[in-house]
Amino acid sequence: MEIKVEVRKYVIENLVNDGPAISLSDTTPLITGGLIDSIGMIGLVRFIESRFGIEFASREVDAHRLDTLEAIESLVFKKLTQAPRPL
Amino acid sequence: MPGPEGSLLHEWLLKTARKSPDGLAILEDGKTTSFGDLLAQVESVAVTFFELGVRQGDRVALVLPKTTESIVAVFASLFVGASYVPIHPRWPKERIAIALDDCAAQIVVADSDGILNISRRAGGGTVEWNQALSQRRVIRPVLQSVTDAAIILFTSGSTGNPKGVVLSHGAVSAFVKWTAQEFQIDSRDRVASPSPLGFDLSTFDIFNMAWCGATCVVAPESIVWMPRFLAGYLRDTRTTCWYSVPSILAGMYDDGGLAHGGGPDLRVALFAGEVFPSPKLTLLQAALPGVVLANLYGPTETNVVTWHRVPLTFDSSEPLPIGKPCPYAQVTMDPETGELLAGGASTMSGYWNRPEETARAFIDLEGRRYYRTGDRVSRGPSGDYTFIGRLDRQVKRRGFRIELGEIEAVLARHQTVLEAAAVAYDRRDRGTAITAFVRSVSREATTIQEIRAYCASSLPLYMAPDRVVLVESIPKGNRGKIDYASLKKAAEDSDSGD
Repeated sequence: MEIKVEVRKYVIENLVNDGPAISLSDTTPLITGGLIDSIGMIGLVRFIESRFGIEFASREVDAHRLDTLEAIESLVFKKLTQAPRPL
Repeated sequence: MPGPEGSLLHEWLLKTARKSPDGLAILEDGKTTSFGDLLAQVESVAVTFFELGVRQGDRVALVLPKTTESIVAVFASLFVGASYVPIHPRWPKERIAIALDDCAAQIVVADSDGILNISRRAGGGTVEWNQALSQRRVIRPVLQSVTDAAIILFTSGSTGNPKGVVLSHGAVSAFVKWTAQEFQIDSRDRVASPSPLGFDLSTFDIFNMAWCGATCVVAPESIVWMPRFLAGYLRDTRTTCWYSVPSILAGMYDDGGLAHGGGPDLRVALFAGEVFPSPKLTLLQAALPGVVLANLYGPTETNVVTWHRVPLTFDSSEPLPIGKPCPYAQVTMDPETGELLAGGASTMSGYWNRPEETARAFIDLEGRRYYRTGDRVSRGPSGDYTFIGRLDRQVKRRGFRIELGEIEAVLARHQTVLEAAAVAYDRRDRGTAITAFVRSVSREATTIQEIRAYCASSLPLYMAPDRVVLVESIPKGNRGKIDYASLKKAAEDSDSGD
């Protein structure tokens, strides 16, 4: 639950530029819905990595796995439970 | 550097493959393809293209990312005398359909549900890629001339639809041969351009492979978007010559560890497509000692026509010049407007199927034909040109060229939109931002989110506005023209800037 809250806050404050008029549900498509572009994706990955103390390798993360808050949560959750936190 | 003669792009591959069949042609994510294997695959697929009805002068649409298979399809198209038309598979469906209809491709090579297929557009007929590879017949390349079309590249058009730039074998050849000579590329090199096939930058790596026998390093889509992955890939693949837009190099510097060097093998890094911010370039230069850095300039219509090697004593308080003409190019400046006019061997044949636009694009001066770049330049005492700005409403974002008029035209097609105006402004480190002001039939008729989703389904992601603002009216000047200056100011003022 907390993962989605934090990512939603980050996305609204940093990546979506339309201001308070926009609302994000857990299933709003962020990338395929045109809200976040490729630069935004890079920023999003950096935020997730630093906030949750994980590091993605290539192929672990792509537009599909970052497209909704729900998908991001499951991606982060999988990563957190799968691998020990890097030192 | 010394390669087979001639200017037909597929003949380069034929000769190189005969000379060094065991040489490494393509390296893609651990998968290797020798020149001998590549030629065998090209010949086999070319037979299939021919059997599906492709003839000289036809077009083959490649709705594919840049992969080993799509490079095979590029050369197979050229083998049967057709031009290839790269269309990005992640473009919205509507835009892909418009491009396919516009170029009237005979066949389409595309991935459908994970299976690579070659399909006839009119009247059916589909062959799976793997089946095409098992052809046993061999086809001789048809006789062609250097003025025959080799590639059609779609670029943003202000009327709302992309337009196709036709480049001949000779046009591509002029650029590739020059890069090989100027940067001394040979069979020991590993060349890479992370740009999609539909970008003119992608002629550098594919055709230097064929011309010089160099290895083409293909970066998979899963890697290209993330600077850290891409920089690691560059080092792991021991890439020697790199060509990309500045924003990718800058991204790899900021986030990819390029600040600590590009690895022991990198020796040439070329960039084109947009202005490289001078302070960042100075940092990159310091991080890559011994690497030749050069700014290549030219719109898709002319490919590269001027270039400038970044000097060791580069002064970062000045903008980096676009430099002096390449040896095959003729470049001059309109004395009244300061517009850069460019002609010569690398120039396009014209826009596909658009004779009026083609006529408007060129100007004849003293018996020479020049393309009007729309770029305003100045010329310094050393003879170097420097880019100042645009004469029209075209903008660049991460090296992608965008006509703001195309965004407006697409927005105006939305059922609730009465009028739209798009403006772009520079956000310094964060690049170009685009804001679209939209007036809809009523306040309740639509939402920002709906417009954003519509943009995502109708425009490539790089063209979608960063921000959509719903307005009651769009400001006009006294002649009824949209007051872009005040809209731009409104967009800039309301940008939080964080």
